[in-house]
Amino acid sequence: MIELYALTDHPAPSLPDGASLSTVAHAGLAFVWGPAPTPTELSPELLWRHEELLEKLMEDRDILPVRYGTRLPDEAAAAWALCERHHELALALDRVRGAVELSVRVIGTEREPPPADGMSGTEYLRAREQTSTARASALRTVHEPLSLSARASSERAPRAAGELVRAAYLVDREAVQEFAATVTRLQAAHPRLRLLCTGPWPPYSFSET
Amino acid sequence: MTTIAEREVALIDLVDRLLGGGVVIAGDITLSVAEVDLVYVQLRALISSVASAEEKGFLPRLGSAV
Repeated sequence: MIELYALTDHPAPSLPDGASLSTVAHAGLAFVWGPAPTPTELSPELLWRHEELLEKLMEDRDILPVRYGTRLPDEAAAAWALCERHHELALALDRVRGAVELSVRVIGTEREPPPADGMSGTEYLRAREQTSTARASALRTVHEPLSLSARASSERAPRAAGELVRAAYLVDREAVQEFAATVTRLQAAHPRLRLLCTGPWPPYSFSET
Repeated sequence: MTTIAEREVALIDLVDRLLGGGVVIAGDITLSVAEVDLVYVQLRALISSVASAEEKGFLPRLGSAV
């Protein structure tokens, strides 16, 4: 079995040393793959190792990340997948060319802790309305201006308590510092919100075909 | 990333991206939907401890990949 890591242009700069990577190419595109590692329990270290490999590739080429854990029987199967979906994969790589992904989450710091003895129906509804107002306001004051500095953006439902915005931005490589400066400026303008910006990431959230 | 805390903050974003992003190619995906949910459960303890740390605030982290 082999594991697919990313789609790149072909030819591309030589692959980083020491990671047992290979490529399989067809008509200007290539999959970067490696031997499938023996299955182990998923851990943060395992995920970071995968991420470091993609970041290494991203240093000197454009990449379209493949969904984590994608395995094929052999190189021929990868070549076939590349052939079969060549057109849509080429378009998807074009969409992220020259760009990286930045993540921004907005946390509300004025959340009232829920009362220890539980909430009445009215209190629950009021708390829910407050959250929804805070979320709409954070989208307007943070997400909208950041979207204007990005080539594309995607916004997902918040997952954690207190989280108001969970967004990803596709940003041109040369515009990353400017984007970070905008985040810093927005943070200063909205001290009651906590903006958490991480990246640059490979464009995981902009890889739909 | 320079500190463990920043790395933990970024872990939430990493899990989101690795397990929910990337182009889907025909083939076996090692993790089933149930397993992905399990990963979130396993990481939840860590993530909730990070959530309280986040409210104290961290500087934006920008790596060196660009």
